[in-house]
Amino acid sequence: MAKEVGKDRLGDLYTNGKVRKRREWRGFADTLYDYWRWLHIMGILAGFIMKPRNIKAMLRYRWMANYLAVPMMLDRHTQGLRGEYLRICHTEQDLVVSDVAKLLNNLFRGDRRIGNDTEFSKKVVLVDENEMTAVMMGFPTLKGLSRETPSTYVSVLLNQNAAVHYIDVAQEYGLAGDVCPMPEAEAGVSIDDDAPVLGACAIQCNTTCDGSLMSNGVISKRLELEDGIPVFQLAAPLRHREADVQEYAAQEIRNAIAFIEEHTGEKWDWDYYFECAKRVNISTRYRMDWLDMNKTDYPQVFGSNLALYTETNYMAICGKIPEFVEADRKIDALAQKAYKAKKKMAKEYRHRAIIWGVQSHFYFDFLLWLVNCWGIVPLTDMLSMVSTKTLCEDNTPEGREQAIYDIAWLTENMIMRNRTHGGYKVLLDELWEYVEEFHADMVILWEHMSCKALNGMHGQFEEKAREKGIHLVWVTHDLFDPRVISRQGVRDQINRYMRAVMQEEPLDPSLEILHDEHSW
Amino acid sequence: MKDLKHLYYFERLLEDANNDLIRQAQNDGKICVAYTCENVPEPLLNLEGAFSARLRAPRTGSMEMGTYYMTSFLCEYSRALLERAIEGGFNFADCMITPDGCTMMNRCVENMELLKTNEKEKFFYEYMEVPMKADDNGLNLYVLQCRNHILKPLQEHYGIDVSDAAIRKAVQEHNRVCELIRAIGEFRKGDMPRITGYEYHIITMVTYAAPKYLLIDKLEETLEELKTCQPDAKNRFRARVVLVGSEVDDVDVVRLIEDSGAYVCADRFCYGSFPGRDPLVLTDDEDALTQICRQYMYRGQCPRFMNQAKIQERRRYVASLAEEYRADGIIYEQVKFCDPWAYEKMVGAHVLREDYGYPVLAVDRPYAIGVSGQMRTRVQAFVESIEIKKIQGGAKRG
Repeated sequence: MAKEVGKDRLGDLYTNGKVRKRREWRGFADTLYDYWRWLHIMGILAGFIMKPRNIKAMLRYRWMANYLAVPMMLDRHTQGLRGEYLRICHTEQDLVVSDVAKLLNNLFRGDRRIGNDTEFSKKVVLVDENEMTAVMMGFPTLKGLSRETPSTYVSVLLNQNAAVHYIDVAQEYGLAGDVCPMPEAEAGVSIDDDAPVLGACAIQCNTTCDGSLMSNGVISKRLELEDGIPVFQLAAPLRHREADVQEYAAQEIRNAIAFIEEHTGEKWDWDYYFECAKRVNISTRYRMDWLDMNKTDYPQVFGSNLALYTETNYMAICGKIPEFVEADRKIDALAQKAYKAKKKMAKEYRHRAIIWGVQSHFYFDFLLWLVNCWGIVPLTDMLSMVSTKTLCEDNTPEGREQAIYDIAWLTENMIMRNRTHGGYKVLLDELWEYVEEFHADMVILWEHMSCKALNGMHGQFEEKAREKGIHLVWVTHDLFDPRVISRQGVRDQINRYMRAVMQEEPLDPSLEILHDEHSW
Repeated sequence: MKDLKHLYYFERLLEDANNDLIRQAQNDGKICVAYTCENVPEPLLNLEGAFSARLRAPRTGSMEMGTYYMTSFLCEYSRALLERAIEGGFNFADCMITPDGCTMMNRCVENMELLKTNEKEKFFYEYMEVPMKADDNGLNLYVLQCRNHILKPLQEHYGIDVSDAAIRKAVQEHNRVCELIRAIGEFRKGDMPRITGYEYHIITMVTYAAPKYLLIDKLEETLEELKTCQPDAKNRFRARVVLVGSEVDDVDVVRLIEDSGAYVCADRFCYGSFPGRDPLVLTDDEDALTQICRQYMYRGQCPRFMNQAKIQERRRYVASLAEEYRADGIIYEQVKFCDPWAYEKMVGAHVLREDYGYPVLAVDRPYAIGVSGQMRTRVQAFVESIEIKKIQGGAKRG
């Protein structure tokens, strides 16, 4: 029970059950802060559950039970954190929790089965979970809501087994077991008819992969043919770096906007769009600053603090919510302060790693484990290396035309798809450029076993790493399904490499083997 | 029933990717344009001075190198092609044009490029973006991509004439082959078919894998032969099925299905004759390239077309084939690890069964099926279930 970073045996807090033994002692100030934030989260949950329609939703939707694990998720992501790192994590994650609570509130308000607020529902546009919401940046009076975000994406962050039931549903319906479990689970939710039904229309996107694209077909079949909700399929080009696809991409955006206008009766608002674009640019500049900081000996915003927040802010928020810019400013101030004081997140940094590939969703706090257990610093990850292009901010006829291309560019460069599509250069060659830029000596390569785009470059990654003398550690997993490879199975792959190849001992031996297979 | 006169010849052509006719065409001074996906408009690869060859990996055995580069989770078709390329089996090709269609095939070709599997001096790789929806925007994209990634490089690297007149001439040859394949396919409609599904599959596949202009005489002879040949007195098949799904390279797939008692009366798989051998209709009021792209896009049955109208049309198309060819059932198949067909097979099987009333068998299979007992058992059981339904009256088709 220590105030100092890295003094505690964090593994001792684990039990065989769903939650850990007790809360971590971080010294008086940090423990008090953490406890205050815990109370804040409990307040959000209490505020949410006080509404009768949300209780009804808890009983109607199977996946809602996972939200009981929200405090535990935060505890997992704050393990061993002190000072600024703890505050950065809470600033980000508390905001994300509050945003998801609002999303759920809105979904159930309009849901035909729960709140059935038809007037509200007419102002809702359903969007994919794996979709840039940039196409909603010009509709201030509409709500772009994703049903998949709370039902599968966030659920698995909260509870590692959350998607298992829906994966089984899809496979029982006849889907092959070798497809990516993320769209598979989303299809399972749709097959199980376990998603809220609302909205004037929906926008789907050919997002990350063939599986995701095909799963959308299953979801739109129910939406369009059974629920009567018109769906626009936004086909963003796959070879997104090519000049000769950009006009097509821009026209898709124009068509999508026209579709939304037609089905909601609302008009695209350029003033609001440029307001959002400015906020996107601010967030981008902060992200770039943090990445620059991570190239030095004193990285500050990295690991899951970088990954989860970037995913949310870049993809789901897209400048629409001002609170995220406020959070950016606060995080930046904390990061600058820690940087000036040459602070470190763990007691020792042994290796500088780039995390590449698609990370295991059921074990998102693995990045924190890397630092705490082995002193491996996850400087940045593939999903955080998204567009850094500055969006046009001029509300002029020329600026508006450029804005359409900017929205198209963002849509094409959605998280994950900006690397898994677009040719091998964006996946393979740019990794080695980042290795040099960030002075990394190690690449942790997530091998999401159902991700064909990544696996298709397996041999090329190995050969290049050998050629460049970089330690390449494969970590195989099945994204949403811990039955295939468990959290300990994930850790074992690192443990073996660190002991056998690097001949090192862990910083915190209590973390090497954890009994968390029953944990949320 | 006697074997078709040229069947052995066609079968021999399919035993090698670099078959006799490819060598003959190259000796004639033509360049070989290799491709890997049906979404590349074939006539554009068959302009004067060029001919197309759809890449296959016949007689595939070990795929260890392909598996090393792409892991065992990618479809065997893509791994088999990469393996063959690494072995030097596609060195005859003069260029490679591939759409960023399915991810696995795209990765396969990228690996070929990175591993420099072809060292011909003028060899080039081109990757196309092909539309995922059938609409005006998609058509503009398709035309531009064909221009930038097929016509322009062919002209620049090999001096191929890519004029409108040259394209129209290529379409004429393409259509002649399509008409012959369609006419031959008509003989599958009868109660006592004069051609087996296996024979038809061989003939159709040859038209993708060998230069068309060298095949036309043999196809014409085959058609004439079928007009007069006598079918067997007793039908050896117990059911008629439409085969739908991933590409079927392995000649044993259709043979195994037919040996198990199910006659493959229509082929709706990648590189099958539906819709791949539908003739293209050109008019004079618009350039040929746009017309070709429009027809490829609107008739395309590829599962990666993502809008619901197109998705529903795919199922209607299968049902209409089943009706036209009087099928008793439908077999949905996918090469193991193929994402697009995994989903299409799942939903298609339900829709064809529940909305159209057809018995459906849904299976996944390896690239090279050989004499799979598992597959044989599945098909035999399916045939028996169809027979039982017939005896019992079965469910009425909706």
